[in-house]
Amino acid sequence: MNALLTMQGLRHSYDGRPVLGVESLEVLEGEILAIVGPNGSGKSTLLRIVNLLERPTRGEIEFWNGSRLSGMSRGERKELARQMAMIFQEPLLFRRTVRENVAYGLKVRRVPRDERRVQVGEMLARLNLVDLAERDALTLSGGEAQKVALGRAMVLKPRLLLLDEPLASLDMPSRREMRTYISRLVREMGVTAIYVSHDYHEVLEIADRLAVIIGGTLLQTGKPGEVFGRPVNGAVAEFLGAENLLEGEVTSCREGAARISVSGLELEALCDLSPGSRVKVLIHPEEVALLSGVGEAGSVRNRLRARVLEVREIGGMVRVRLDCGFPLVAHITRASREEMGVEPGREFTAAVKATALHVMPFTRKG
Amino acid sequence: MLLREVKKKVGEIWRGFVEALKLIARFDPYVMKVTLFTLYVCAIATAFGMVMGIPLGSALALYRFRGRKLVVTLVNAGMGLPPVVVGLFVYLFLKRRGPLGFLGWLYTPKAIILAEIALAMPLIAGITMAALQNADPKLRMQSRSLGASEAGSILTLLRETRLSLLAAVIAGFGGIISEVGAAMIVGGNLLLNGEPYTRTLTTATVLELNKGNSTLAIALGIILLGITLLLVWVMTLIQQGTLLSYPGRAARSLFSRLRKEAPA
Repeated sequence: MNALLTMQGLRHSYDGRPVLGVESLEVLEGEILAIVGPNGSGKSTLLRIVNLLERPTRGEIEFWNGSRLSGMSRGERKELARQMAMIFQEPLLFRRTVRENVAYGLKVRRVPRDERRVQVGEMLARLNLVDLAERDALTLSGGEAQKVALGRAMVLKPRLLLLDEPLASLDMPSRREMRTYISRLVREMGVTAIYVSHDYHEVLEIADRLAVIIGGTLLQTGKPGEVFGRPVNGAVAEFLGAENLLEGEVTSCREGAARISVSGLELEALCDLSPGSRVKVLIHPEEVALLSGVGEAGSVRNRLRARVLEVREIGGMVRVRLDCGFPLVAHITRASREEMGVEPGREFTAAVKATALHVMPFTRKG
Repeated sequence: MLLREVKKKVGEIWRGFVEALKLIARFDPYVMKVTLFTLYVCAIATAFGMVMGIPLGSALALYRFRGRKLVVTLVNAGMGLPPVVVGLFVYLFLKRRGPLGFLGWLYTPKAIILAEIALAMPLIAGITMAALQNADPKLRMQSRSLGASEAGSILTLLRETRLSLLAAVIAGFGGIISEVGAAMIVGGNLLLNGEPYTRTLTTATVLELNKGNSTLAIALGIILLGITLLLVWVMTLIQQGTLLSYPGRAARSLFSRLRKEAPA
């Protein structure tokens, strides 16, 4: 896929206080790129910069039509801005009817009235808003209003759609509905989208790629599975809600096979860090197997004596909190819980493959 | 004794009131001319006040620039300027030996309009500024991000706050139609060839009362009061309109939510 947009060395500060640093980020044609990070991490600032509403302190963006941020003329700026549309957390509808709201951008672009009517009508139909067309937009419920905001942006057929926490102020059912509409419209119309959210759950289903920004710095970009499976550091892992994030130290390392000491216990893992390095170790709870005997699962390198502290059902799975010298969480199936009689107080062997340990260098931020 | 005396005096006022109503009902030419002149002067002054005040108020609300605080202070001070003082300054500028004396505007309708603009403009600018500052700044960002130009986004925002703007204009108009000091000083309350020339409802009321013609004064007063009441009524409608529609809005939104949650 081609890059629709390339950012290089982007830096932004308010009154000398740095708020954003993005070394390099590409937005690929036709994808939904989700930018996630805690509140106040600079995600929205990044969107405003891309939307040309704000000028970065330093850095370069190359847009799809070849024009660059530096030395961009007013005309180019306007031209580019008109190929983008932004949706915010609040619907920010205008005090007019729903139809007039959706027509706003077309009117600004001086699209002839007849054509405008056709396009607005189509968009209202797509969003199931025909019945509400003549309603005062300020009388709509939150979910309806946000749908109108989506229609108002999508009717412009933007090259790039920018979404700034579009679901954050909606209730659960509206959230699901809105997310479906967003992904359906974006895919059907072949629009590229940047979707900013502080809640990674929200974007998992619809994002093609994930970019994690924490404390103003872009830390990791990749497919959601990649980022989840192999976060670059503890900060990313923690933000993504990782359980079993342990601190340790490499004691020996030979040809990529390392021994890591965690709370006095030795674990085997695959990594290339030199002995003495402090590391963070991520063990996904699904990768922890509980065994009642010692003899099973021959190839598993890490076996730990584990006492069950707590057992809780979450959805279809069972979450088991273990103590094996350090706290460890395992996710097992209901069936294996019943089969093995996993109850608080009982002891098992927790087995984790060396390949299932994700080792990250310990950074100050992580 | 005293009661009879008071009753008699009240009766005089009542008779004057009835006579005044007859004057109005007969479309007395003098009363009509003064009224029309007043409306004319105030309408033009308000129009100029809007043309200057709305952009000024918008700029003060939406931009940060050097000297902004000073201008905001001036506007706020201008909202409470005593009309007599405004009249005095306009007089000093327009008098034959004043800086603008060459215009020859003193004691003409132009002088009154000028003074009334000076009174109305800060009012309109001040209320516009307050209205725009209360509007969600993201609304303007939203309109920009949908492709509106800088000016277009401001127009959109003004349209969003149009009720407050209407209130600003009415406040401006109401402020100048009821003031007497400035119009008296710079207009002179003159007749030209026996016709009202720079005579407004307020200055004429003062004059007729001084002349002892209380019937005419009451008639003029009633008209002024009528116009003011009309303005207040429209203002109230504007405010009530937004107030009254609010519960309806909330109910409708709740209703549509319930309908959505109910199984289809």
